Amino acid sequence: MLNDVLRMTLVQFVDRVRSFAPNVLAMLAVLLVGVLAAGAVRVALSFALPRLGVDRFAERSGLGDVARRAGLTRRPSRTIALATAWVVLAIFVLLAVAALDVQVAVDLVTRAFAWLPHLLVAFALLLAGGLVAGFVRRSVLIAAVNAGLPTARLLSSGAHAALLVLFSAMALEEVGLGQRVVLTAFAISFGGVVLALALAFGLAGKEVARDSLERLLRRRGPEDEDGLKHL
Amino acid sequence: MSVPLDPAVGERVRELGTADLLVGIPSYNNARTIAHVVRAVAAGLAKHFPDRKAVIVNSDGGSRDGTPQVVASTEIGSPQTILARHPLGPVHKILTPYHGVPGKGSALRTIFAIAERLGARACAVVDSDLRSITPAWIELLLGPIVEHGFDYVAPLYLRHKYDGTITNSIVYPLTRSLYGREVRQPIGGEFGFSGRLAAHYLSRPVWESDVARFGVDVWMTTTALADGFRVCESFLGAKIHDPKDPSADLTAMLVQVVAAVFDLMETYHERWAAVEKAEAVPLFGFPHGVGLEPVSVNVARMVGIFDQGVRDLRELWEAALEPHVLADVTALAGAGESAFRFPDPLWVRVVHDFAIAYRRRALPRDQLLRSLVPLYLGRTAAFVLATAASGAAEVEAAIGALADEFVRQTPDLRARWPARAGSKEA
Repeated sequence: MLNDVLRMTLVQFVDRVRSFAPNVLAMLAVLLVGVLAAGAVRVALSFALPRLGVDRFAERSGLGDVARRAGLTRRPSRTIALATAWVVLAIFVLLAVAALDVQVAVDLVTRAFAWLPHLLVAFALLLAGGLVAGFVRRSVLIAAVNAGLPTARLLSSGAHAALLVLFSAMALEEVGLGQRVVLTAFAISFGGVVLALALAFGLAGKEVARDSLERLLRRRGPEDEDGLKHL
Repeated sequence: MSVPLDPAVGERVRELGTADLLVGIPSYNNARTIAHVVRAVAAGLAKHFPDRKAVIVNSDGGSRDGTPQVVASTEIGSPQTILARHPLGPVHKILTPYHGVPGKGSALRTIFAIAERLGARACAVVDSDLRSITPAWIELLLGPIVEHGFDYVAPLYLRHKYDGTITNSIVYPLTRSLYGREVRQPIGGEFGFSGRLAAHYLSRPVWESDVARFGVDVWMTTTALADGFRVCESFLGAKIHDPKDPSADLTAMLVQVVAAVFDLMETYHERWAAVEKAEAVPLFGFPHGVGLEPVSVNVARMVGIFDQGVRDLRELWEAALEPHVLADVTALAGAGESAFRFPDPLWVRVVHDFAIAYRRRALPRDQLLRSLVPLYLGRTAAFVLATAASGAAEVEAAIGALADEFVRQTPDLRARWPARAGSKEA
């Protein structure tokens, strides 16, 4: 009796392994193809992107600066090549998991593919945020220096930080990470910063505030104007 | 492509058929001053060119203060009080709105188009806010074309030693060193041009670009020089115009003018790469001295902005200036108002470095040129300090010395000029 049960169990196990083995082999094959494909993509992009002027464009547009601030010290073309290779590999890993044809794995893959667009949008938001914040920082800095405002660096850094926080909050909301928490935290911190700045400027920096207002008002006054005609 | 004209204007042009001379007056909200300008132009045409058929064209940018109505109602038919000879025919008027991108360039394009359709031999343009224009200006602007065959007449004004600092420190010396002709005021506002040159201007593919909005004056001068037209100058005396808003934005002005000059450097690179020396152009009129209003200059403020630029804009200037130039600029900061200096060779190097950075798109172009403002103010402050006790002749000599320094450094600019836009390689 016991022998029959053990034999049946063993047969069923062997049958299951036999029926499942092609899936495992398929998974391994997909993984192998994925590794090769990711490697090929990385090599191809590392070769092509610098020749297409991607590094030059990144430096001109400020993307290089954004990447360095984020701790990415590689050349932008190599970073893009590496990131693309990892994305390709991740897609093949998901396909490999799907090849197992297990319900849990299929569900996982389905959810992962449904989440992927949100992830890409969040990544694009972070990238755009870095670019916009860098551009605005430089613009505010130049305008403030040209206007002779002594707080030029403070103003430009403030604008930069505010935009980075705003875009980060949008990105986190996009991927669905603590939507309410992020939104509330952003509103509280942003409002807090503004209130703190207003208080600091009005109380601790009242002399600076008065001086700045006087300078601003004096800009329109006749006694501080140049009579120069520049053209 | 032909320039679209208002149907009524097209009809008026067909009625007139042809004209020998045309004077254009671009305007926008100049009701206060334009009547004087129209009367001076009409008197000048009647007095100096009585046997020529002449047309005055007012190209208006949609004024809301009744400028076209003022032009229409200004009496120009009987200026006999100042005439030695009576004109054979009346001076005609055309009032036209202009189409296209809002700006002086579009206003001038319409004037060129009317000149071309009327077959005008000689044309002039004068600003509508002038208070110092006299009938003699019309002879000085049109005469060299009608009687001596020139194609372009640039104005030469008598100005205060601190007036026109962008012209004196950038536009004049750069234009002279690049195109090899000495036109003292390339951004005049008033100028004369032949019908041939008007047709050439119309044929250039620039009328949807920034030239249509601003920078058309320097574009016209440079195009005439670079494309080999015969250029001369006429001395017009002092230029006094309606006071503008004193807080008009210097940054926007500098960016517009310098962008126009740098764009032209790209367009005409092959021409200026072949120029070896600069020579004077013929001068018409009789240069004389006149009293000029004093100019107040706040040097401390300019030096302060320069010092702050050195402190705060370093990261931007690093993208534009060569390291040793940046080091030299940095060394100027902190000297204080009285000891502040900005040597000619260093200023020339700064302008050339910015031109190259503009060419290779080292930064977004607007930001690049805006970051030039503290350097320009530093240079202007140093110029004011260095010439505080100088008379007009000494100041002119100092500007000439700067222009010579531009010429001296042009070979280096040529050697470093990037072969392709956006590229570092020469």
